[in-house]
Amino acid sequence: MRIRPRAANRVPHLVLVWSLDEPDRLGEALPILGPVCIGRGGPQGDDPFPRATPQRMRPSRTVARPPIASARISRRHLLVEPDGAESVRVRVVGKAPVRIAGRLTMDGVARSGDLLSIQNAALYMVAIRPVELPTLSSGTTVEFPFAAPDPFGIVGESEAAWRLREAISFAASTDNHVLIVGESGTGKELAARAVHGLSTRRGQGFVARNAATMPETLLDAELFGNVKNYPNPGMPERPGLIGEADGSTLFLDEIGDLPERCQVHLLRALDSDGEYQRLGEARPRRSSFRLVAATNRPLTSLKHDFLARFTHRVALPGLPDRREDIPLVLAEILRRTGHKYRHIAVRFFEMRAGEIAEPRLQPDLVARLLLHPFTHHVRELERLVWLAISTAEADYIGLTPDVERELRDQIEPPAVDLDGFDRETLARALAENGRSPTRAAKALGLKNRFVLHRLLKKHGLTPSSDDDGKEGSA
Amino acid sequence: MNLALLRDTLEHALSVEEDFPRLFYATLFSRHPHLRALFQRNSPGAQQKMFAQKLTAVVDNLDDPDWAQRELSALAHSHAGYGVTKEMYPWVGEALIDALRVSCGAAWSSEAERAWQQAYVAITRAVLAVPVEATPTAQ
Repeated sequence: MRIRPRAANRVPHLVLVWSLDEPDRLGEALPILGPVCIGRGGPQGDDPFPRATPQRMRPSRTVARPPIASARISRRHLLVEPDGAESVRVRVVGKAPVRIAGRLTMDGVARSGDLLSIQNAALYMVAIRPVELPTLSSGTTVEFPFAAPDPFGIVGESEAAWRLREAISFAASTDNHVLIVGESGTGKELAARAVHGLSTRRGQGFVARNAATMPETLLDAELFGNVKNYPNPGMPERPGLIGEADGSTLFLDEIGDLPERCQVHLLRALDSDGEYQRLGEARPRRSSFRLVAATNRPLTSLKHDFLARFTHRVALPGLPDRREDIPLVLAEILRRTGHKYRHIAVRFFEMRAGEIAEPRLQPDLVARLLLHPFTHHVRELERLVWLAISTAEADYIGLTPDVERELRDQIEPPAVDLDGFDRETLARALAENGRSPTRAAKALGLKNRFVLHRLLKKHGLTPSSDDDGKEGSA
Repeated sequence: MNLALLRDTLEHALSVEEDFPRLFYATLFSRHPHLRALFQRNSPGAQQKMFAQKLTAVVDNLDDPDWAQRELSALAHSHAGYGVTKEMYPWVGEALIDALRVSCGAAWSSEAERAWQQAYVAITRAVLAVPVEATPTAQ
């Protein structure tokens, strides 16, 4: 599958990220191509501008949706027009008050990433998007409900989410080895399963193992298998992961934790068309396996010749790279939680015709999550959701003091250019500040220590590691 | 029918912090507690949202005869199915107008009161004019 080059025509959109009355419309976007009226229902006779039409945007197919139907949004609520390339001017003409980036206003400018809140009705995020998502030239399925998980469990309707699906689909269309790169919690195994599920090997069982959990002394036996009673008496015969994955896909997570010696052994099997030997066995065996590996470490943690065998690389975006998807991921986490735990559904979810419906979700929580600089992404979001549920004092999921504490000091994105920090600078700042992340972050002009932790992770450092060329654990 | 006034007052009621739909049901159930039994299938929050959505849709479309005929007919059948009887309609109307009056506060007027009374009578007549067979099921 190929997509056409990125569309140059990017304009501000208001993306629905929370709605009291229409929670099934999250992810729909109002394009702001020129001055528009936003309000409940269709066009009114005396509208000064055309009505903005909600859209469900997907590659090669943008679907116009019915007008806003929320009872709490006035028939004519906002007049919105572009204000430069990355912002919109918003004038309020409706009943319910509006906040832009937290400030109550009747006339203001909302910039890319700002949240526009119509009190007790809806929350929109300003996002700069192409007018149309790039066209997919083949295969990737778009036949699943809007905003729902795709057949492989990946949730997202943002441009980044669709680019990821495209990269997965392309990698799956060949038989080459794949390296998935992404921070912890970005869904590396989900992506690996998607590569397998879309490939011609999908009829065979997916073999997955975390390289970091394999005892170093048993790595070769784990990978290549062993004959009975080898190397120790009483050892059962094992096919090894490579043998198990014959005709299928072998997924090795945390491949960056594999010692170099083992990378060399694995490289030999990759280079010799799947030829390998079980431990204690003289005759070579052959396995037609495809290796999908994943790492959250810098690629320098892999031997360069081993790295070179991964023809395809799939980079997983973090939640801050696809903020528009956060409400959709949040909704999916809550949906699964509500369906798994009846007592939680009874307390926190609406019921319609006796069935579990939408969760009672406080918009303030959604707003704060949208601004949160996630470092562990979906896993972190899940943890925050559980924290909100477990510390809730009422029958809704909201911004409890415990959640507030977790999110505190992390509202503003850092003003400094994070790409400007190299490994040496970070290591020196830590060394000069007694290895205190808080003090080092302050010395570097970072917003807080969490930003520093993210940078350290990116460079394979920890607060306790020296910059002597060794990798710190991620 | 003063549609502009109906829409304006309803928007006002729905935009205030104190939730107008909650007030409507609280008023209705305080006066007629036995009606609670008709609202068991939806949680109170969902019921309130559905009420606000439906009332808004009706007020938005009262000037569309086709829509009104189609939707009010459907409403008549569904309400009969829930066990709503003819004598309950005035109770609902009183609770609705009282809740609107409280929610609108200073924005309410005798003109608004008249407009809502007239509209409610017209809507009720249209709903009750639809021939339905009652097969009660809890809402």
